[in-house]
Amino acid sequence: MSKFLRSPWLEVNVMVFVLILSFAGLALIGWGAETPPGGMSGAAIFGWLFGFFFLSFAIALVAVIGGIGGGVLFTPFMLAFTSVDSLIIRATGLIVAMFSGLISTGPFTKRGLANLRICIFCAAAYGVGAFGGAIGAIYVAKHLGATGEGVVRLALGLILLSLAVYFIVGGKKIEWPEVKHVDNFTKKLKLSQPYYEESLKKVIDYPLTRAKWVLFAIVGVGLLSGFFGLGAGWAIVPAQNMIMAVPLKVAAANSGVLLGMGDCIAVWPYLLMGAIIPLFAAPWLVGQVLGGLLGALILIRVKAGFVRFLLIGFMFFACFGLLTKGLGMLGVIGNVPMWLNGAVFLAILIWCTRAILKHRKSES
Amino acid sequence: MSPEERPTFSRAQIVYGQIVYWITILACLICTVGPVISMASVENNVANPHYLFASIFAGDDAQTVWNKVGGGFPGGHFWAKNFTKGDGFTQFGLALGCSVALWGLIVAAFLYMREKVYLYVVLSLWVATLVFLSASGMVSGGH
Repeated sequence: MSKFLRSPWLEVNVMVFVLILSFAGLALIGWGAETPPGGMSGAAIFGWLFGFFFLSFAIALVAVIGGIGGGVLFTPFMLAFTSVDSLIIRATGLIVAMFSGLISTGPFTKRGLANLRICIFCAAAYGVGAFGGAIGAIYVAKHLGATGEGVVRLALGLILLSLAVYFIVGGKKIEWPEVKHVDNFTKKLKLSQPYYEESLKKVIDYPLTRAKWVLFAIVGVGLLSGFFGLGAGWAIVPAQNMIMAVPLKVAAANSGVLLGMGDCIAVWPYLLMGAIIPLFAAPWLVGQVLGGLLGALILIRVKAGFVRFLLIGFMFFACFGLLTKGLGMLGVIGNVPMWLNGAVFLAILIWCTRAILKHRKSES
Repeated sequence: MSPEERPTFSRAQIVYGQIVYWITILACLICTVGPVISMASVENNVANPHYLFASIFAGDDAQTVWNKVGGGFPGGHFWAKNFTKGDGFTQFGLALGCSVALWGLIVAAFLYMREKVYLYVVLSLWVATLVFLSASGMVSGGH
C-alpha cells in the first residue's frame, strides 16, 4: 500500500481534501452572497478566513523549522498591527499555542521522546498558573478598559524584547545534563523513562532531580502563558532542562505535550466569556493542525537555521509595534508616522540579512 | 539495535497520545466545515457572520461583539442548543479540541491503575478535574 494511504499521510490527505472543498465552497458562496447594510461582504469574509488560515499555516510551518512556538508569533503580531480587541487576540493566541502542542502529542508520545509522567506532573502545576493567568486577563480587560489595553501591549512588548534577546544569546541549555544527586522527592516520583535516541543509535536513560523546584517555576510560566495567550515552550524547555536535568530533546517534546494538556485548562475561561469567537478562531486552529503536521512530516529535517533569524527579526518589529501602540493608548506618544515604521523595518531587515550571512558563513 | 530491543513505554502514554491526536484531527475537520455551513445560510447562525466580522475589525470587545450581533452572549456551551447552526457546529469543534486532554487523561488514569502506578492515577485525575472544573465554569473566579 502506498505510504500516502497510511497514517499519518492518510489523515493529512483527508484534511487537505476537505480544506480545498471547503474553501472552494466558501469562495463560491462568498462571492454570490448579498451584503447586508453595515455588514462585511461575503468576498471579504472569505478573504479574511483564507488569510487567517494561510497565516496560521505559515506560522506553524516556520515554527517547526525555526523552533519558535506559534503563539509567540501570533499574539504580538495581531496585537501590534490590528485593531482587534486584545482579549479576543490573546484568547485566540492560546488556541494557536495549544493546538500546535496537541497535534505533536501523538507522534512524540508514540516515539517515547515525550515523557507523559513528566508532562502530567508539570501540568498539575502549569494548569493552576495558566487558569489564574486567564482569569487575571479577563479581570484586567473588564476593569481597566483602555488603560489596561495599553499596559498589556507595553508589558507584552517588553516580554517580547527580552525573548528576542534571549533567542539571540541562546540561553544556557545543556543537551545531556549530568545529575550528581537525585533527591528523595524526585526518586519517589519515578519520572525517568528510557528511550531510543535515533541520532546516537542507543538507549538513553536519564536520571532527574529537583522536581519540586520545577513546580514553582512552572506555575509562574503558566500564569504568563494564560494571561498573555502566548505559548510558553521558551520557558518550559529551559525550566525542565536547567532545573530538573531533562535532556534537551525530551524537554522540547514534553513542552508541546504539556502546552496542549495545560492550555485545555487555561482556554476555558476565555471560551465561557465569549472571547473565543468560533468563526474567528476556527481558521487559526485548522492552520496550526495542518501546518504542524505537514511541517513535522516534510520540513523537520530541513536545515534552515536562517529562519530563526527571520523570526527573531519579526519579533523585534512586533515588539516595536507593541511598545508604540501601548504608549499611544496610554497617551504618552502620538501616532507613529509611516516613515518611522518603515525606517525601523529597514533597520531590522538589514540586521537579519547580516545575521543570516554570518550564519551561512559559519556553517560552510 | 533491533526494534524488539528498544525500550517499551507505558500503555497509558501511547493511548493518551493517540486519543489526543485523533480527537484533534476530528476537531480540525469540524472547524474546517463549520464556516462553510455558516456562510451557506447566514441566517442559520447565532451571530450573522457579515456583522460579526465587521464588529470584530471595528475593535469591539467580545461582550460588545456578542451584544451587537448575537443579541448577547448565548453562553460558553451554546453549541449544545445550536448544534445544527454554522457557528454552533464550529464551536462544538473548538470545545471538543479544547477538552481533549480530559478524555485522554481519564483513559490514562484507568491504564495507570491497571499498571498499579497509583501516583499517576491521582495526578492524571487531578489534571482531568482541573480541565473539567474549568470547562464546566464551576470555577471561574467570579467572571
